[in-house]
Amino acid sequence: MKATDVVRVVVETLPRATLVSSLGTATSAVRSVTDDGPHLYFGAAMGSTMAAALGLAEAVPDREVVAVIGDGDFLMGASALWSLSACRPTNLLVVVLADGTYTITGAQPISVPLRVEGVCSALDGLSGAAVVACDELADALARLPRPAVVEAAVTASAWPGPSPFVDPAEVVRNLRRSLGR
Amino acid sequence: MSTPARLEWQTRVVERLVEADVGVAAFVPDSRLNGILTGLAERGVLLRSLTREEECVAYAAGQRIAGGRAVVLMQSSGLGNALNALGSLAVPYRLGLPLVVSMRGTLGETNPSQVPIGRATTALLAALGIQSFPLRRAEDADAVVGGVVDMAFEGGETAAVLLDPELGGGREGH
Repeated sequence: MKATDVVRVVVETLPRATLVSSLGTATSAVRSVTDDGPHLYFGAAMGSTMAAALGLAEAVPDREVVAVIGDGDFLMGASALWSLSACRPTNLLVVVLADGTYTITGAQPISVPLRVEGVCSALDGLSGAAVVACDELADALARLPRPAVVEAAVTASAWPGPSPFVDPAEVVRNLRRSLGR
Repeated sequence: MSTPARLEWQTRVVERLVEADVGVAAFVPDSRLNGILTGLAERGVLLRSLTREEECVAYAAGQRIAGGRAVVLMQSSGLGNALNALGSLAVPYRLGLPLVVSMRGTLGETNPSQVPIGRATTALLAALGIQSFPLRRAEDADAVVGGVVDMAFEGGETAAVLLDPELGGGREGH
């Protein structure tokens, strides 16, 4: 899968969801697939995406929130998994774009497999899955109890879309308008 | 969390946060914060004990972007963990987070390892453009806490209350 394939499946399966994307390929892919839709794009703050998605999910319980994050960002903020386990929002899903590299800094390799499914199964109240194809991803999004974390294997290395360097004011304005705030 | 009798300043901080319609408090534990947190819980404020101060800032940012009134509470030693989320998320996105920081490493500190971050807390925040305001007496709680929550919720400026040791309520001597 390409990063944009993953995001496209998320958007097609959960069309009303608000996405929260980490700096790098995730923000670029979400911008590309949603045509700069009203989502929370991170322009920095690596490692904080999951926790921000948790706060947003608890603030908008009537809306599904999907964190789309790179595997590097996931590792930097992995302690948030334990907070997800404690809070257990039923409207939160995390999709990890697992290409095995810190793509934006030059594709340096990530030194260890994520094993998201195993980690989540070891924690209370979390479900997890690892997928390698679009149909598997769509199935996981449909069937996993929330909160859930899905490790989506990304094998194509092409940069997915526009720059991830977003204008924070525009991001906030568009998202708040979308949320009716 | 075990709690001794609530101190007057803690009661006043709780009252002012409740008056500001705070809905959720994200925190990493600290002894001086206990009385505030139990007071907030008694008043129906949702408590979120998260694993790192950086998470608390990001969690509150997610709340604030949807209009939630979130406050972040931490010990000063945890500020170092929170700097990236503050400087790369809360400040540039102008999400207006009120921070309540329990100070260590200042007056009367006996743990040398607490001193460098405590000594630098105001400067670290200021370097990110975050104003901080010390609270040393219970009678100032309404003005200081009220001012900080107004800056955050009405002005969109992340700002901090620094709970100084003179207030008491910490593990003094430890």
